[in-house]
Amino acid sequence: MVSILQSEWFKFRHSKIMFIILTVPIIGIFLGFTSRFSNEDFEINEWYLSLLSMNLTYALLFLPLITGVLASAICRYEHQAGGWKQLLALPVTRGRVFIAKYVLLIVLVLVMQVLFFVAVYIVGMIKGFTDPFPMVIVWKSLVGGWVATLPLIALQLWMSILFKSFAAPFAINVILTLPTILVVNSERFSSFYPWAQPFLMMYIGGETGDTFYVPWVQLLTVVGGSFILFFVGGYLYFQRKAV
Amino acid sequence: MIGKLLRADFLKIKRKGLWFLSFLGPFGVIALQMVNYGVRKDYLLNQSDDDWGYFLEYVHSFTPLALVLGIAILTSFMASIENETNAWKQLISLPVSKMSVYLSKFMVLGSLLFVSSLLLGVFSLGYGILLNLGDQIPYLELLKYSFYPYLAALPILALQLWIASVSQNQGIPITTGVLGVIFAYSAFILPDWMIWKWPSLMNEWDEPLINVMLGIGVGTLLYIVGMLDFTRRDVK
Repeated sequence: MVSILQSEWFKFRHSKIMFIILTVPIIGIFLGFTSRFSNEDFEINEWYLSLLSMNLTYALLFLPLITGVLASAICRYEHQAGGWKQLLALPVTRGRVFIAKYVLLIVLVLVMQVLFFVAVYIVGMIKGFTDPFPMVIVWKSLVGGWVATLPLIALQLWMSILFKSFAAPFAINVILTLPTILVVNSERFSSFYPWAQPFLMMYIGGETGDTFYVPWVQLLTVVGGSFILFFVGGYLYFQRKAV
Repeated sequence: MIGKLLRADFLKIKRKGLWFLSFLGPFGVIALQMVNYGVRKDYLLNQSDDDWGYFLEYVHSFTPLALVLGIAILTSFMASIENETNAWKQLISLPVSKMSVYLSKFMVLGSLLFVSSLLLGVFSLGYGILLNLGDQIPYLELLKYSFYPYLAALPILALQLWIASVSQNQGIPITTGVLGVIFAYSAFILPDWMIWKWPSLMNEWDEPLINVMLGIGVGTLLYIVGMLDFTRRDVK
């Protein structure tokens, strides 16, 4: 298992995936400087408004879309010139290859989350925020957004193994992500829609009674349920895939 | 020559889902409004006296996003068709000029998006009539909301085709598309010179026609630059 992960990591280092991850701080800084709200009328911590407006676009559109691209990118080598055949001819099981790819993905997404909040911090520093940095809130939405993305990347990994091209899994991702813009307006529908969960988990204005910004029940059923569905689906598909 | 290339390119995209996606884009934009109006029709109709105008603006709030992402998907698909089977080499070795190969790709994509825009107009009209938005159907506005974003998005099409056709790794054009949609989503705070703002038809003079003119002008320019770069590169 460790050696499969090492080989995935090696392939990752020698591909151009780094530049995909570097778009995260770029978008973070862009969103920070085009912030929609102004602080002048409110008497609350300056970071809150910055976080509210930056998290909005980031979690609604950018995070679900870019993680899908990432999933396709880590399957790129295998799709070229019979890479699946070469990889699976090694003494490895298909299940482990799938899990190794998934583990690499979730680590990369966690790195992206950290980079995003580094961007938030840099924007705040440049703007000269003097209020204390709300560490607890940031941790909650960092980890929350990450957890909510786990089922989405499982589906994207499945789709990326299924299709050779980048465009096809991305098209599916777009079809599922764009409706979120409308769905989050409705409290009733948004709690059931997996693609709305990153936004809800990172929406710092939400309920704070539970550990995250969404209730545990919703987290376990919607995020957990869709995770099991997509992960098992992808896992079983990969077992049967003809290479 | 270009006629044969076009026929070949249209043949290549058969049964690959590109036509379906061109249909799905405008259908999805209207379907979102079906949900929106389905859930809260009475509220939305009370918001304004000009029900048609209000409806079209709602439709238009999704058009630029669908357009930017649609362009990224379609251009990348076009390039992958050649990339996946190393067909660029075979295509270029035919007695055709590289310029016409590039032009043919651009024209195919342009036609797909034209059909999408046309369908957007038809679907908007159809659902608007179904909603009983009034007998005064604003045909001119319908045409504007369907085709102005398309024309204003031509620079994005030219840019994406350029990136997709010279990239070995299709992750690059797709990532550009993701950045583009974030810009398009933040259109109202973008400066006027950013091409991703143009499909939203917003500008400081409040005159959508400027975006259309800029779109055609800059689109042509970017197309020429992309084509020249494509012809100078080695085909791997």
